[in-house]
Amino acid sequence: MRRPLQYLALLGYMVFLAFPLLWLLSTALKTSQEMASLTPTWIPRHPVLTNFADAFTEQDIVGSALRSLVVAVASSVLTVVLALPAAYSMARHRSLVNKIAIGWVLVSQVFPFILIIIPLFMVLRSLDLVNTLPGLTVVHVTFTLPFALWMLQGYVRSVPRELEEAAAVDGAGRIRALVKIVAPLLAPGVVATLLFAFISSWNEFLFALVVLKDPDVATLPLTLVKFTGAEGVVRLGPLAAASLLATIPSLAFFAIIQRRLRSGLLAGAVKG
Amino acid sequence: MRTRTALVAAATAIAALTAGCSSGDGGDGGKAGEPVSLKFLSLAWQKESVAANKEIVDEWNKANPDIKVEYVQGSWDNVNDQLVTSFEAGDPPDVIHDDSPALAGFASRGYLLDLSGKVPADLKSDIPQAAWDTVTFGDGKGGQGVYGVPFLQESQVIIANKKLLDKAGVSVPTPEDPWTWDEFEEISKKLTKGDTFGVAWPLKSPVNKALNLALNFGGTFFQTDGAKATVKVGPEEREVLQRIHDQLYKDKTADPSALGMGTADPLPGFYAGKYAMLPASVYLRQQVVEQAPSGFEWVTIPPLKGTSADQGAASQTLSVAADSKYPDQATKFISFFLNSTNQAKLAKGDWLLPTSVKAASDPSMTTEENGWNVATASAKNLVVAPYLKVNGFDEWKSKVATPALQQYFANKITLDEAAKTLVDEGNKVLERYNK
Amino acid sequence: MTLTAERTRGPAAGRRGRPGRSRQGRETLLLMLPALIPVLIFSVGPLLYGIYLAFTDARSGRNSVTSFVGLSNFGDLLTDGDFWASFRIGLIWAVSVTVLQFVAALGLALLLNENLRFRAFTRVLAMVPWAMPPVVIGLMWRLVYHPNAGILNSTLQGVGLLDHNVDWLNDFSIALPAVIVVGIWTGMPQTTVVLLAGLQGVPRELHEAGHVDGATTWRRFWSITLPQLRPVIVTITSLDFVWNINQFGLVYVLTQGGPGGQTRLPMLFAYEEAFRYGFFGYAATLGVAIVIVVLAVLGIYIGRQMREVS
Repeated sequence: MRRPLQYLALLGYMVFLAFPLLWLLSTALKTSQEMASLTPTWIPRHPVLTNFADAFTEQDIVGSALRSLVVAVASSVLTVVLALPAAYSMARHRSLVNKIAIGWVLVSQVFPFILIIIPLFMVLRSLDLVNTLPGLTVVHVTFTLPFALWMLQGYVRSVPRELEEAAAVDGAGRIRALVKIVAPLLAPGVVATLLFAFISSWNEFLFALVVLKDPDVATLPLTLVKFTGAEGVVRLGPLAAASLLATIPSLAFFAIIQRRLRSGLLAGAVKG
Repeated sequence: MRTRTALVAAATAIAALTAGCSSGDGGDGGKAGEPVSLKFLSLAWQKESVAANKEIVDEWNKANPDIKVEYVQGSWDNVNDQLVTSFEAGDPPDVIHDDSPALAGFASRGYLLDLSGKVPADLKSDIPQAAWDTVTFGDGKGGQGVYGVPFLQESQVIIANKKLLDKAGVSVPTPEDPWTWDEFEEISKKLTKGDTFGVAWPLKSPVNKALNLALNFGGTFFQTDGAKATVKVGPEEREVLQRIHDQLYKDKTADPSALGMGTADPLPGFYAGKYAMLPASVYLRQQVVEQAPSGFEWVTIPPLKGTSADQGAASQTLSVAADSKYPDQATKFISFFLNSTNQAKLAKGDWLLPTSVKAASDPSMTTEENGWNVATASAKNLVVAPYLKVNGFDEWKSKVATPALQQYFANKITLDEAAKTLVDEGNKVLERYNK
Repeated sequence: MTLTAERTRGPAAGRRGRPGRSRQGRETLLLMLPALIPVLIFSVGPLLYGIYLAFTDARSGRNSVTSFVGLSNFGDLLTDGDFWASFRIGLIWAVSVTVLQFVAALGLALLLNENLRFRAFTRVLAMVPWAMPPVVIGLMWRLVYHPNAGILNSTLQGVGLLDHNVDWLNDFSIALPAVIVVGIWTGMPQTTVVLLAGLQGVPRELHEAGHVDGATTWRRFWSITLPQLRPVIVTITSLDFVWNINQFGLVYVLTQGGPGGQTRLPMLFAYEEAFRYGFFGYAATLGVAIVIVVLAVLGIYIGRQMREVS
């Protein structure tokens, strides 16, 4: 039968992809002695909560997580709102602007961003955006836009143009055709893009490091790094505890919006 | 630089026009008597060390309400990116914690303030000249300057499993009469039994370790002729490389599986008795204290002796940014932050050696507990390593020396081949900086 | 089936009988404008400036004077053997990660698109590599690969696949494959989500048409799903390729480019050139060279894919 094989394959994928979550949990509950054992076990022999206590008392985990959340939500929503019309245009129209846009999308993704970071910083400073969350949001939007544009125009292309044109011809009007026919088919793509923008912003480190200089505006990735030392020596316990907590919002966000992935499918099926 | 500024100005002008707002710099220089605010980028990361840093900053802020210091915790992994960006943009932290190898490059590019003549006499005399040498660099315009105050130093000691030493009848040497390399090799043989190796050499980043230890036999790796540096790999330089290689492949007293390990990676095997001795920096003692299973007994063995016990020193440092608006206040803060009392606290928190002579005589630095006496005594062997002053060392290390030494220690190439690469390829790299 | 054939001609067919070009032009501009503003302010300027540096001898430092040197950096680049050696490693890395990741992610996306139990749950678990903070990812894999305390060695020995410890990240022939596995792992969720969303955009009626025709699952996948998915596949594989070429942080944490330079990716070169040695001009040249090669590769790839579509 196919089904058992499918379940087996799925299990294989899950073990490969998700074991680190279990590892993080197990590490976060271990004592320093146990972490340095030559024969590590998945289940801690003497589980402790001190790593969580250390992480929370020593660094502002909650505050920086909230700031990260604000930036991630703002930049993912903004990215999609800005990218969607442009992506539609890139996929459906042929014009010089679009060609230039595609060229820019690719070049901006390939060119080493380390060479861009210094002039970018100067632009931010002249706009008084250094050290502010809006500043970081703007940077994140700018750097997820190429991806979002590129992705979304791919999704728009995969929506049969005939469906859109047929509806418009039916007298539904162009805008209505877009809303009724194209939007539902596009919804999964939009959700995927939203997710991408959210997670990239949530985990983004280097721009945050450069833009946010004061500890009281630091985002979560900046806070996590404070548990690492020199030459790869780290404070593994608190780092694992804090990282575990940092992983959860992205997963929760995905758990919530992945329903949209499915309803997008349903909507697509209803329109025929 | 000028073209760059013009270009960025153009970009900025567009930006400013579009957004309809623009503003000048935040501060407007320190008027006398007005309270000022300094940013202090610290790289402390150990729990005790962060606590000590914060405590000293708080103490300062209470005593000096008109010079407020803001503590900013950075990290070693990213400090270079953070500093290069902020130096280039002219917006660096006022007081910067880093290490002497990094200072060389920053100093020659004019990012750091020359502190010579600015450090108060008592602090200056409390720190030995050997330590000051690690922060004295060319200024990129032909002169010399002091670009930081060195405060924490590390030396290479050997951390050993006490029970395994006792079982083999090996006694621990004193700092006055350390083991020679020959003795160390004999003892490694004695300790190699069954599944246990005498020693583990973690050589993931082999260059600094090899170069610092090479001074045991007078190996300098570089020779300078005026301002021009060239690589040299003669008998002195080869000695330590050959000896480590012999332990791995001839004596078979060193565990080859530890070769690719970073500093702390061998610890699980060390606690489990897979190797009896672990050459390591003094700060690794902290990890051992924190992680070793209960009942694990360990000792700190003084640095080995070749023709001398000299080791290359690298210091952690505090510097003032050349672009700081309040250089005098920043220097004043550093002088307070690094007084001998505070240095003892900081050294204890980071398990490193204070440069301050007074701090080194603090009871907490000389106790036998956790090998502090041995660690502190090893500071007398620290000398400035020639590579610190070589322009282009960083590139030589990453492009030439790291791969070549890794290949040599993995027994893929001979010492002659490694030496040839280090010199030939190395000089090509240095050429670029000698122009 | 007719619908499929018709649809795949979409973009080309769109050219006929459209209302006046100027109206379309205005519409394009209007649609592009919101995205254009942040891009113009924050991306185009710095990007052009970065490219300009490639033609200068810019160095970091307050005392440095920059002058225009034309193509001389590019001349140096052609004889820079170290860089090209690392470029070769970079291509092996980027191509293998992209291809293997795509195959693995397509398999997973198809499974997650099936009506299996625990679907919502497994979909969330599949996101773990993406959701984990990058700072612990490298650390975790280093512990997985640890030569004597790592779970990989102990697991493989437990099931009898190995009889001795392997030093995964320090063996001259295994290190690159070992980091490629980590690369695949890290990027799989993005690719999977994108493909999953694409799969769900495949109109149901196409599949139903296939069912009526009595096509086998495999045939339906090959002749209906895959062509339908093509724009999305081209999009995500080209982006993955670009990202993988751009990657170096993760690998650096794992191996620092070792052993013996076996895992030195070209972007590490550009990074060190700029941020460690301070040669901004030459670093920009490396960046431009990478851009040219990548765009050439992508141009051929995308061009061919698009032509096959129409």
